[in-house]
Formats: sequence, structure tokens, C-alpha cells
Amino acid sequence: MRFAVKQVGCGGERIGYLTGFVKSPNTVIETPAAALFTQGGSVVHLTAEVLCKVFTNPQLLWVPLSNSAQLENGLKAQGQGVAKFAGLPNHIACATLHGNNELTPPGHFEGNLVPLWTKQGKKMITADRYMDFMEVFKPDILLAIADGRSTLADGYKRNQKAVERTCSFLDRCVYRYKASKALRETSLIGVIVGTGHRNKCFECIKHILKHGEHLSGIALAGITDGTEESLQVPVQKLEEIFRTVGKVIPNDMVHFVEGCWNPEIIMTAIQHGWDVFDGTYPLKLTNAGQALALNFDLTTNKDDMCILDLNDKRYKLDFGPILKDCECLTCKKHTRAYIRHLLETREMLSNVLLSIHNLHHFDQMFVHARNHIATKTFEVYKNHISHQYRLYVKNLENDLDSVKVKLSEKDIEQTKKKICVSNGDVPKVVTGCG
Amino acid sequence: MGSKSLALSFHVQAECKTSRARAGIMKLPHYEVKTPVFMPVGTQGTMKGLLPEQLECLDCEIILGNTYHLGNRPGTDVLEKAGGLHKFMSWNRALLTDSGGFQMVSLLKLAEITEEGVKFKSPYDNSEIMLTPEKSIEIQNCIGADIIMQLDDVVQTTFQDYDRIKEATERTSRWLDRCLKAHKRPSEQSIFPIVQGLLDRELREKSARDHMSKDVNGFAIGGLSGGEAKDEFWPMVSLSTGLLDKNRPRYLMGVGLAIDLVICVALGVDMFDCVYPTRTARFGCALINTGQLNLRQKQYETDLNPIDDDCSCSTCRNYTRAYLHAIVTVETVACHLISVHNIAFQMRLMQTIRDNIERGTFPQFVNKFVNELYSNGDFPPWIINSLSSVGISIVKK
Repeated sequence: MRFAVKQVGCGGERIGYLTGFVKSPNTVIETPAAALFTQGGSVVHLTAEVLCKVFTNPQLLWVPLSNSAQLENGLKAQGQGVAKFAGLPNHIACATLHGNNELTPPGHFEGNLVPLWTKQGKKMITADRYMDFMEVFKPDILLAIADGRSTLADGYKRNQKAVERTCSFLDRCVYRYKASKALRETSLIGVIVGTGHRNKCFECIKHILKHGEHLSGIALAGITDGTEESLQVPVQKLEEIFRTVGKVIPNDMVHFVEGCWNPEIIMTAIQHGWDVFDGTYPLKLTNAGQALALNFDLTTNKDDMCILDLNDKRYKLDFGPILKDCECLTCKKHTRAYIRHLLETREMLSNVLLSIHNLHHFDQMFVHARNHIATKTFEVYKNHISHQYRLYVKNLENDLDSVKVKLSEKDIEQTKKKICVSNGDVPKVVTGCG
Repeated sequence: MGSKSLALSFHVQAECKTSRARAGIMKLPHYEVKTPVFMPVGTQGTMKGLLPEQLECLDCEIILGNTYHLGNRPGTDVLEKAGGLHKFMSWNRALLTDSGGFQMVSLLKLAEITEEGVKFKSPYDNSEIMLTPEKSIEIQNCIGADIIMQLDDVVQTTFQDYDRIKEATERTSRWLDRCLKAHKRPSEQSIFPIVQGLLDRELREKSARDHMSKDVNGFAIGGLSGGEAKDEFWPMVSLSTGLLDKNRPRYLMGVGLAIDLVICVALGVDMFDCVYPTRTARFGCALINTGQLNLRQKQYETDLNPIDDDCSCSTCRNYTRAYLHAIVTVETVACHLISVHNIAFQMRLMQTIRDNIERGTFPQFVNKFVNELYSNGDFPPWIINSLSSVGISIVKK
């Protein structure tokens, strides 16, 4: 795989090309871009047949080992790699250790062992075992195994351990990579960890760059440890990391960011020269019954929320599409009311329709980002998107507050009733929000 | 030969010279359906994760919705404002809805049946609800399916009390009259009466004759496929099809196993429905000519064949058994993939049946089919007997 920067914007943002994939020589992936998140090798909720209706061009597939380790024996028998095995032979597979779509316990690293959180439970693996997997997965792009599960709040010791472990993992990965026939068509990516401690993080980068001749890019980890709390990082803090780390990485290496980041954070990363994102965010929305509905038109400001919660009763009789003028199959053929019905009845088609829309719309966010970089208007675009997201969060907080008030009023009423009915036999616990 | 009405016209295009099998075209307001036809069940206005265009690709021409479920969620208010179920779910081909009565008896322990209707407690909010023939038709008029079912008095097929069966059969006829009277859209929707009588020949005959005298566009055969022995099942099908008008379509409810489809087509049935192909897909079972593959089994872990070499569905073109084994019952995609294959299997079987009827080779096809399914030559007696009753003798190959 080759990466070339085509154009740099006013800030650090840039348009790049990923080309030269050995298995699909004609494929060009334009960056900034997001990969499609997979589970068990398939784009979540979408069969190959349906995926064709969303994307006609080859896409990056994000393949975490944690949700696809069970493919190993089948892959060994088939011998042609994970994309082909999963019925997606024209797409580009990026393999990594963990998915960022599920919460996992923090820690559990031991010596040279890494915890792999699978549906069947925890599996401890070494760098060698990881590379054994990769030799049968044969991804186009391979993120080295790393101890990337630390948070920005972690202290010196945890960061030091993470960096130490990751550096030795990388040495082993590079060694195996150089010797491997099966991985000849694969590009290796170094993973930055220890992000919570500046010096340790830079030490890690230095070490990665020592292997520079064997690496096609770097990926940023070490921001979350898999827990809910660790995802609550202020955008300013992340911006600082995107900026300082981005600066010291050579421009000709493609920059990956792992993590379930919202549009505002993604815009910030793009502005500091980060190129590829892991695609967890649209999946998270889909699984919550939510639809992304950003307004890409810089000339209009809409008060509409940029994320619709289609579980909401307000859509019961709403026979409009998720988003007017959206070109996706879901918006062209189906209504908010229908999707709400599918969610209410827990029908699988709800996830299919939401995935189609969310993947399309999320991709459009990157298409527009590239267009604005090309026309030197990215800064305006970034502010436009960030503004919508911030407004959405603010409205959400207001809604939550009003819900809380409503609930407690209802509680009071119910409590009153209970007291009347029970003739003095007052229930003990009547507080809380239900 | 055939019948004509605005809401349904039926033309028999080819008849088997040996058995009662026939191939025809059933013209419905939303689609022209080729019979014999299998109708997949999309209970709540969706087919197990598949897009309407995928169903079209699979050559589904008519699918089922369940009145009871749809009446509760999304509810008639939503369906009415949406302009009917076709528009709500974005399905432009034909639809059929059941009456809602069966769900009440199968799902609800608290159902109480009186002359007025079926009284039950809603599982959604525990309120008492009365489903009358009029109410059932009102909901079905709102859903707007091409074919709708009368409310029938459902008794479990294996039930033994003659008096109760007699009551139910006769009440079904009385309820049919009420349904027909309540029907508000006769030029767009056809009510099918349901032949009842369980396993009693006399009652079933009476039921069929009662229904025959009514101005209806087709008939359903109910009260079967509910756990009775096959030896009891097929004579009731045969009795019903023997009595029912040749010019109108006959729909056997709740039957969908491949062998049952083949036999019942030979006995003169035109339409079938069953949840089996999609339900079994969820548990990782894929249908093939000789039965089914349980893809969860370890033996498929490294099996690089498609589910079925002869199948041209998108699942068999793109995926191996080994891959499906690795994701089955874990990823929703596995369920979609097997559902696609299983529906394709049913559709291909019906297409093969129609082709053979048209070519005049139906008896030979049945022979081949039965021999393939029971390759050891150990044919169950009900298969031999049912087929010989319509002149097809099975020859061991």
C-alpha cells in the first residue's frame, strides 16, 4: 500500500490517497475517510448484497480480532484472507486488536500478554499469537499489537508500562512481518500508546519511527481503556494530542485514529492532519436506534437536531424520510414512522435501515470534508459541523433536565396515590426517578 | 377455467393429467401471483431483516402480515395515516393478512370464545379486548392486504371433544357471514373463508359446502398442521380440495415443509404459508433438498462449499458454510444470509413445481423428489398413500 498527500489545506488538514493494494491494484481510497466497522468479518448488520446498495466503490473494512478470532480455522482452510472469506473480496481489510464499539474491563495486561475480549470471554495472547492470527487473516493493512488501553488520566507508571510493552510488541511484530510470506501483501502500522504522558508517548513514537522503513503508517491509541468513563474526554484535551503528536509524525505516513469519536472530535483530528477513522461512531448510533442527520449546507443553519432518536414517540406518525434530500436507500424508500415501528417491535430490519443511512451519511461527512479541504474552506466546514454537534449536546442536556423534572412530578403523584390506597401503610422507598 | 372479480381473478393455465396439481395466475390488485405459491411470513410488517427489494429479487410475489400484531403495533391509527401496510413497509407486491384469531388462541391462555367473538387480555397492557368478526375485518380493511381472512373459531387440531369441534365449525360459518357483511373494500380485498372441521370428515365437508355457497374469490383450509399425524392430515386436505370449487384458489394454512408442499400441490392446493423457513434460519438451519444443514455443527467449520451448490441465491454465490458456521447465531448478518437462502429455496421449489406442471412432467418430478429425499427407499406410508390417492405411484429408483 502507498500513501500520498495530494493537497494540504490552510491548517494541517490534508487530502491523501491510499493506493497500491496488491490484491486490488486499481483501488483508490481518498482520505480523510472512515473505515466500515466489522464484526465476524461482516459490516455489522449488512450482508454483501445490501452493502452494494450503500457503496459501489471498495471501502476500508475495520476488522478487530476481538470480534473475529472465531474465523481462524475457517480462514486457515480457505487461505485467502478475511475480506474474501467474509464475502467482501473487493474491499480493503484493516486488522487491529480491539474493537472500540463495546465497553471492556480496563487493565488485565500481564507481562507480555494482552487480554483479548471476545464473546466467548477473555483470551490472553502474545505478540506471536497475534501474528499467527494475522498470517491467516491476511489483512491489507495490519495494526501492530499494542497496549493501547490506557487513559489520559493514567499516571506515569501505567503509561511507562504501556510504552515498554508496546515497543517490545512492535519489535516482535516487525520481526515476524519481515519473515512472513503470508504477509507480503500486507502493510504494517505502528501504534502510538502512552498518550496520557507526553514524554512516554514521544518515547513510543521515537521507537516506532526506528522501524519506519517497514511501516506504512501510524495509529493513535492510548486514549481510552475500554470503559465508559474514559470516553468522556474534552475536545480541547484531544485537540492538544492530535496537534502535538501529529506534528512529530512524518507527513508521508498515513495517520489512523482508533476510537468512537463524535463528529466534532473527528473534525478536530482532521484539522491536525489525521487521515483514517475506525467507523465505530455510526455503529454506536445504529445500535442505539439513532440516525445521524447533519446539515452539510454551509449557507443554512437548521435548528433540527443533528442526531435523531427514532425510538421517540414523536416519530410515530412522521411519514417523512430520516433526512430530506438524503440519497441513501433508507431515506429514498422508508419513513421515520416505519423505522420507529421496527425499533419498537425489535425487528432486525431497524438496524439494517439505520446502518444504511448512518454509513452513507457518515461517509458523506468525509466527502464534504475533502471537498472543503480542496477549496480551502475546511475551517468553516469544521465550525459548521462542530456547532451542530454542540447544539445537539446542549439540547440533549436540557431535555434530560426536563425529563428529570417530569419524572419526579409523576413520582410525587404516584406516591400520593399509593399513600391514599394503602391506608396509612406507606411504602418505604418512594424517591428516585423510577 | 377460472374466476373473475375486481379484487381477484384466477386463471388455471395448466393441469397435471394425473394428479390434482394445477398451475395458474392469480391476479391481485397489487400483483399477479403465479400459483402454486409459497408465501413467506413477515409478521410485523417486515421479513426478518430483509429489505423489500431483496424479497423482490428472491421472486416473492405475495407475503403475509399478522393482523393481531399489526393491530397492536404500529396500530390502525398509524396504518391508516400511512395509507395501508403496503405503503408503510414499502412493499409494492401482494399481501395477505390472517384474521388475528389464531394468534389469540396460540399466544394467549386467557382467550374466551363466545358467539360474539374472542375475548382476551392484551399482553401489552392487560386490558380486556374483544375481537369480533367485524373488528377483525375492520382492522384488515385498514391494513389493506390484497387477500384477507375471515375470523374463525379456532380449536387445537388435536382436540378431541366432538361437540366443541362441531360448535366451532358451525360458528366459523356464521362468523363468515358477519365478516362478509362488515367488509368495506370488496373491490380491493378478497375475504377467504376458512374450511374448518379439524379431523372430522362430515364436519369438514359441511364446512366446505357452506363456504362454497358464498360469494367469495377463494378458500382457505384451516385447522390442520397443528400436531396431528400425517396419516390424519393428508386425507383432510384431500377431502377439502376435492370439494372446493376448481375455479377459485385454495390456500392451505401453516404448511411449508418441502415434502408437504409437493404432496399438497398434488392434492390440489394453490397457496401456502409458513414461518418455518425464516424461523429455522435464526437458529442456523439452512434448507437443502435432502432436509436441512445445521450450520452450528462443528463439521462445517472448514467446509468451503456454499450451502447448496445448485442454489444461485446471493448467499450461496458469496459465502461458504465455513464462514456461516463462524458467525451463525452471533451476528445478525448470519441470520439475514440464511433467511435469504431459505426463502430462495422455497421459491425455487415452487418454480420447479410450476414448471413441471406446465411441462406435463409433474408426476415424474414428484417421483424424483421423493426418491432424493428418502434415498434409502424407505418411503413413509403417508407419502405413498396420499400420492397414490391422486394417481401418482412412487417407484423406488
